Amino acid sequence: MVTSNMNDKEEMLKLIDELKNDISSKNNEIAAYLDKINALEQEITRLQNLIPDSPMQIKVKQRKKGFVFDPNSESTIVIKDLVKQFGEVTAVNGINLEIKKGELFGLLGPNGAGKTTTINILVGLLSPTKGSAVVGGYDVKRDLQKIKEMIGVCPQEASVYKFLKGRENVELFGNLFEMDKKVIKARTDKFFETSGLKEASNRKAKGYSGGMIRQLNLIIALINDPKIVFLDEPTVGMDPRARRKTWNFIGDLKQDDKTIILTTHYIEEAEALCDRVGIIDYGKLIALGSPQELMKKHDAKDLEEVFMKITGRRILEGT
Amino acid sequence: MIQRVFALVKMQLLKLIREPAILFMNLLFPAVLTIAFALSFGGGESAIFTMMAPGLFGYACIFLIMTVAMSFTDDREQGLLKRINITPTTSSQFIGSYIITNMIIAAIQLVIVFLLALLMGYRPKIDVIGVILAFVFMLLLSLCSVGLGLITATIAKSAGAATGLSFIFILPQMFFGTFIEVTDITRGIAAFLPSYYVTEALKAIFNGISPFVMENVMRLGIIALMSGVIIILGIFLFKKYGKV
Repeated sequence: MVTSNMNDKEEMLKLIDELKNDISSKNNEIAAYLDKINALEQEITRLQNLIPDSPMQIKVKQRKKGFVFDPNSESTIVIKDLVKQFGEVTAVNGINLEIKKGELFGLLGPNGAGKTTTINILVGLLSPTKGSAVVGGYDVKRDLQKIKEMIGVCPQEASVYKFLKGRENVELFGNLFEMDKKVIKARTDKFFETSGLKEASNRKAKGYSGGMIRQLNLIIALINDPKIVFLDEPTVGMDPRARRKTWNFIGDLKQDDKTIILTTHYIEEAEALCDRVGIIDYGKLIALGSPQELMKKHDAKDLEEVFMKITGRRILEGT
Repeated sequence: MIQRVFALVKMQLLKLIREPAILFMNLLFPAVLTIAFALSFGGGESAIFTMMAPGLFGYACIFLIMTVAMSFTDDREQGLLKRINITPTTSSQFIGSYIITNMIIAAIQLVIVFLLALLMGYRPKIDVIGVILAFVFMLLLSLCSVGLGLITATIAKSAGAATGLSFIFILPQMFFGTFIEVTDITRGIAAFLPSYYVTEALKAIFNGISPFVMENVMRLGIIALMSGVIIILGIFLFKKYGKV
């Protein structure tokens, strides 16, 4: 009886040991399966990230970051029903326009047509009375700071510090964009070299000629390597030679895949440089297309004639 | 942010050095003034000069109103404020750089006037704490001057107009808040002038009275409050009506 009980107990213990071993091995198997599941989950997440978002999902994501327009659009600048009034005067009157990435777009029109006002709205110097404008994916009313970080502006009046040397002017603006000092120096050297102002770079701007100051004005606008460049009458007051030189300079910018918005009232400038032109008169966009398209459409020999056929006036006569 | 403010301060200090009119107004004028007053009123031995000397510090500093107003209107006329405005620089960073620059100038003015007055025989009874407190009063007065300069620049259409208009704020402070002793009649006007509190505090400090007597602490509080209100008002008005 005692022996039988002993045998039973031994068998029980043996069974328990076997069960323990079994449980342990099953635990190991489970751990291995869990590892595999984790690895599979990670792989699924990785593969999910590779699947492109639907346009709606992209819109939602970008709206969160401040983007506001269709990400599938090729346009860098989108202007919708833009109006700017100064008291009784309507300077910009319901402009609708899209400017594509990498395009050199010209705003052509007589003095007082509303070109500079439009530019001033796009760069945040003026707020629109009505309508909207999006620059580089950001709304000019809400995300001005982000826009300012990506643009370069060459204003109509040559605004440089006369008591600073040419180089110091450019470096100052580089610092205002919080650029690396070495990058500022390298870009400053490059621009002074290519613009032919190298020898004057260490002279105070006070001693520069009008043409040199305008060139310096342009260099300052480009120091931050902007994606979008606004050039407001960049060659006004320049002699023909300096103007040609500046045209070459602007043409080179286009090779860098920058979007350039140029305002001008010089017909030949618009024809020589621009991929597309928007003709503005009394704050309204009255014609839009490439110079060739516009000339063909209006059976005109140049853009001056296009303007004349539409308005009955010459561009240089003004409003 | 620091890179921007530092670059703007450097630019403004270069302007100080390179523009003769600004250099004269800010640094040579206080020096000439101190020497002229010392010579005219009998130097350090004279009781009149001893009484007037503390007022000279404030006198130099209130002219910052003119240079700040001129500088802002000049930059505005040349389109430079617009140009700065289309960079990521915020208006607080820009005006902050003006405040820092003018505080540096006020500190230099204090050193110039102090050293020249000493050279001319003036012997203030002052210790290190007194010197530090004098600096604090002068820096607060420079803050007021920047604020009043901004208000002037808001009203003025051109740099020339700013020069003239700045005297609206300079003249009362000059006559009722610096080296001319206030009377019972003028004390009422002086109570509204920042330079009055600074000059009175400097008189006490330079006469060896403990810098932390209740009257000086009160003056410090009043000038701190005044500078805060004036600079905020100046920034507000310039941003709203200054047509950057």
